[in-house]
Amino acid sequence: MFEHIISSMIFLPIIAGLILLLTPVTKNGARAMALVVSVAVLILGLKLYTGFIGAGGMEFVENYVWFPSLGINYTLGVDGISLFILMAGTVLFPSIFLIFTTKSKGYYANLLIAQGAMAGAVCAGDLMLFYIFWEVMLLPIFFMIGLFGGEGKIAATLKITLYTIAGSLLMLAAIFYLGVAFHNQFGIWSFNIVNMAALKLHGTVAVLAFVGFMLAFAIKIPLFPFHTWLPDAYTEGPAAATFVLSAIMAKIGVYAVIRFVIPIFGAEFTRYALIMAYLGVIGMMYCGFAAIAQKDFKRMLAFSSASHMGIIALGLFCMNIQALTGSLFQIVAHATSTGALFLFAGILEERMQTRKIADLGGIAGRAPVFAMFFAIAMLASVGLPGTSGFIGEFLIILGAIKYNVAIGVLAGTSLIIGVCYMLWMFQRVFFEKSNERTEKFRDLSAAEVLAFLPILVLIIVMGIYPQPFIKKIEPAARIQINTILHNMQVADANALLQGTNLEK
Amino acid sequence: MIINYLTLSIILFCLGILGVISRRNVFTVFMSIELMLNAANLAFITFARLHVSMDGHVLAMLVIAVAAAEAALALAVVILLHKHKGVLDTNIFSLLKG
Amino acid sequence: MEQTAHFYLGLIPLMPLIGAVLIGLMHVTTCRGHRFPDKLYAVLACIGPVLACIMAFQVFTILKTLPVEHRILVHKVFTWFSVGELNISMGFMADPLSSLMILFVTFIGSLIHIYSIGYMADDKTYAKFFGYMNLFLGSMLILVLGDGPVVMFVGWEGVGLCSYLLISYYNEDSSNVLAGNKAFIVNRIGDLGFVLGMAFLFWAIGAQGFDYISLKANAHLLPQATAMLVCLLLFVGATGKSAQIPLYVWLPDAMAGPTPVSALIHAATMVTAGVYMVARFSFLYVTVPDAGEIVAWIGILTALVSAIYGMFQDDIKKVLAYSTVSQLGYMFAGVGVAAYSAGIFHVFTHAFFKALLFLGAGSVIYAMHHEQNIWKMGGLKKKLPVTYLTMLVGALALSGCPPFSGFFSKDEILFSAFASGHKAIWAIGVLVAGMTAYYTFRMIFVVFHGEPHSKSSYDHAHEPPPVMTVPLVLLAIGALLAGFFNLPELFGGHQMVSSWLEPSVLDHHAHAEASTEWMVMGSSVLAFVIGFSIAYVKFAKGAQLPVFTGFAKFAYNKFYIDELYDMLFVQPYKSIGAIIWKDFDPNVTDGPRKAISWLYGAIGDAFRLVQTGYVRVYAIYMVIGLSLISLLISQTLN
Repeated sequence: MFEHIISSMIFLPIIAGLILLLTPVTKNGARAMALVVSVAVLILGLKLYTGFIGAGGMEFVENYVWFPSLGINYTLGVDGISLFILMAGTVLFPSIFLIFTTKSKGYYANLLIAQGAMAGAVCAGDLMLFYIFWEVMLLPIFFMIGLFGGEGKIAATLKITLYTIAGSLLMLAAIFYLGVAFHNQFGIWSFNIVNMAALKLHGTVAVLAFVGFMLAFAIKIPLFPFHTWLPDAYTEGPAAATFVLSAIMAKIGVYAVIRFVIPIFGAEFTRYALIMAYLGVIGMMYCGFAAIAQKDFKRMLAFSSASHMGIIALGLFCMNIQALTGSLFQIVAHATSTGALFLFAGILEERMQTRKIADLGGIAGRAPVFAMFFAIAMLASVGLPGTSGFIGEFLIILGAIKYNVAIGVLAGTSLIIGVCYMLWMFQRVFFEKSNERTEKFRDLSAAEVLAFLPILVLIIVMGIYPQPFIKKIEPAARIQINTILHNMQVADANALLQGTNLEK
Repeated sequence: MIINYLTLSIILFCLGILGVISRRNVFTVFMSIELMLNAANLAFITFARLHVSMDGHVLAMLVIAVAAAEAALALAVVILLHKHKGVLDTNIFSLLKG
Repeated sequence: MEQTAHFYLGLIPLMPLIGAVLIGLMHVTTCRGHRFPDKLYAVLACIGPVLACIMAFQVFTILKTLPVEHRILVHKVFTWFSVGELNISMGFMADPLSSLMILFVTFIGSLIHIYSIGYMADDKTYAKFFGYMNLFLGSMLILVLGDGPVVMFVGWEGVGLCSYLLISYYNEDSSNVLAGNKAFIVNRIGDLGFVLGMAFLFWAIGAQGFDYISLKANAHLLPQATAMLVCLLLFVGATGKSAQIPLYVWLPDAMAGPTPVSALIHAATMVTAGVYMVARFSFLYVTVPDAGEIVAWIGILTALVSAIYGMFQDDIKKVLAYSTVSQLGYMFAGVGVAAYSAGIFHVFTHAFFKALLFLGAGSVIYAMHHEQNIWKMGGLKKKLPVTYLTMLVGALALSGCPPFSGFFSKDEILFSAFASGHKAIWAIGVLVAGMTAYYTFRMIFVVFHGEPHSKSSYDHAHEPPPVMTVPLVLLAIGALLAGFFNLPELFGGHQMVSSWLEPSVLDHHAHAEASTEWMVMGSSVLAFVIGFSIAYVKFAKGAQLPVFTGFAKFAYNKFYIDELYDMLFVQPYKSIGAIIWKDFDPNVTDGPRKAISWLYGAIGDAFRLVQTGYVRVYAIYMVIGLSLISLLISQTLN
């Protein structure tokens, strides 16, 4: 089993999910099974984490021929870029099954399938394999929001599905183009990511293919101005779906940019990085401003999450090691803090039967443990030093300053914007006087405390002692940065060459 | 000489089409379809004669068989339609309206 | 010896932090069931600060035994994070500057903790309060001891967080929470300056190491323009933390917290952080005198403006709050004119007398059952003799009466300003000194002299328990004597503090004739006498609630700065948010998506017209289609 550790991590939950769907299990049985499977995956994940060396290359590689005629292989592997996204998913999932109880078995089955598909998307080393997992990932979310969502669930489901499908179909076209181009240049069929990096692309078609990839990922992240599906989906979706979307799926968008766009479309990436960086920082400010106007705490958290994703995306495009490492670190930090916040929001919604901030108040007095946990996650989300949120944000701002001073300064304002709406919300929900509704708020039970403890411990540990994490991320990030720098040198040399030609 | 048979076949076929398009009674439409089938049969036979080959005859037999099967089915459908609405006006049956 | 000092360095900030975590865990686990007795929390809360204080003293003495040029101890606990050329250690550094700071931070912090045992006695969430207080002190110690700007930033933000938690401590009242929010957000604005300053500094000279020692060694490589930028950005951070123009607005509102918190924020921790930071980065500030100039002017203007506010307040804590802002202005004026040791010395003396005044005010408020309006007090001299006497010492120190501590430190700053040629700053400083004397004694006279304004609360007033009065007395002794540590040579002293700080800060020593020195000193004393006399004449015989008109009303309302900020920043922020959410997002950003979905709808509608539902019509379509195909085929065949 340990030889195929990644495959096990992918297919164990998927198979378990399918079994749940096809057999008449009670919902408690389903929950128990989901919990057991996710814990088993967690154990596998920990095994993988401890065995991970972190030299910069792919580890735990599995490679099997799948469609030999088209060169499509079943290739899996983990490196410093994908490791932490994979781990974030594995560590966070058992908490969901511990916390939420009152749903049908389809709920658990979908979550399990989502978990497996996301692990697959993160570890895939072949473009076609990646595409399949990328699409499968959306299915459970579609059902989760559509079946278990709030009042506006149908519209929200349509919006997220159409948006993401539109993006990923363009990506599929781009993948086909890449495959054909590879066949034309090298005479063999291959969709392997490592091989693809050798591809020489130029001209308008290359830019179009780049846009095809970028659009799919920008929608998933989501990057401004493709974020409009997010508030609806996050708000209307059940807590677990929102959690999966915000904590892990959005990060896979970021991951995919690093994994595919930087190595394959190096030249286009460097050319359009500035625009992307501006989109990131504008998105951060835009969603941050929109968050203050919300009357619904879940929607506010949704905008807050989108705002932070803007900063994370910015880190990708700053083209230096600090920002990129910061981004990768922030992916995990944000997964823990925002994930926790959405879980808390889910608990709040479940117990108070409302999403309106105005209906709440004084919860800190009723439920001190809940308030403290929420406060820790909130502080991590606003980037307080000593919590996980600070390191990544600091590195990204540092890198952004080096890349472009204006972007850096704008990125810095996230320090202020974030704290404004968060404190405002915290005041109205947790402080002030309690009302009839919040009087009855029950504090976290022991099981819930147990479920949240790993997340909170991770938040603190990653803030105080982040070096072990960074040590595993940095080599992989360095490889990407070297690719970028190489591309920039080539571009400079070409420009120089053209300049001299013109002079002649 | 041959051309006359073909002209007759075309005239019959066009009459059939006209019947399908313009008449509103389901029976008339059905009869028009039969007319078109027979026009085709005539054309088959004519070409068989022209090329001195049995293929056309075979096909004509096949068409007759299909027409018979179709008649059985269509009449059943017509009866059901009549049971359902009590009339046989095709304009009444417009469920596919967009 | 040095080994022990290293050992202590890591432990000093850890002591209160452990206390905070322990108390926090105990509080959280027991808040639903059986609680631990309050006494246990009180003891636990005081152990950390007291131990830290003892260790700080140890470190200080160890440092003292070392030769002057080796008085620097660095203890790197672990690599915090390291990416590319950025290499940050969680390291702590003791040098003369930080060791002096931790000495009085822990000492005064401990006294405030002890005092709080009495003051907070009836509080329902006693444990929570002490947890926050310990966290506060721990953050401050990290700030002071951090061996580089990033570690300093941990404490820097930590104190911001704790101030938020403590200011909004009585969180059922929304105005208190708003005050807390304001403190945190305004501090964050400053922190943005700090972060950007760090970023620019790092990309300029940080690659060889981003701690103070390396930065100091490489400071000469910094281009003038970058140095200026970094200095100003860092100073933005300082204006946020130390409540200077334009970010001073949070500090007066911070009075919403319990009084010991105010004492902790104003005296020993938090607000002094900005001054400390400028002194810490003195190696940068000396390279760009223009930046220092700006710092000095902002400082002295803040001192002036807040002194004006202070003269018209009617809440005892607000008077003290504005006096703090004003004194911080002095400190910045000091460090701005490159008299770093004078600025730090004022931080040192101010810590004693301001803690004393706040705790004294706390005693008064405690005795008056949480009444804070000075016009409802009066004549309390007889009822609260200890409080009165100790507060009198504090007031004399604050207003700069010789030979109390405030006199020496303030005079040092004013003298440095005068001697370094900043005559205008000096003149404003003297004016502010007079105003300080006026508003301080206005408060003392109205509260303690004259006739009681509210008979019932006067009758119930009584001296607080010894757990509160003993710290007062200790602080009063400090406020009285702290000035002698840095006795100028004029009085036969050796300027012990200044010479102690010599290795840490690049002081610019201004020298002047003895006669000038006497003149400067004389004018300060004169200003004090004038201010005191006016206050005596107006208020000593008892005074009635004044009615403010004209300029007084304008000053009473703090020049409407809060309203202005609300109009300029808060409301636009909210309305931008509302516009984005209500109009921009659904119509503009979501516009293309809506347009595409509309297009699909329109195309569908167009095709619907063709779908009549009549079989005959479909037959026509078929015939037309087949005819066209046949035509096409026959065309191609020909």
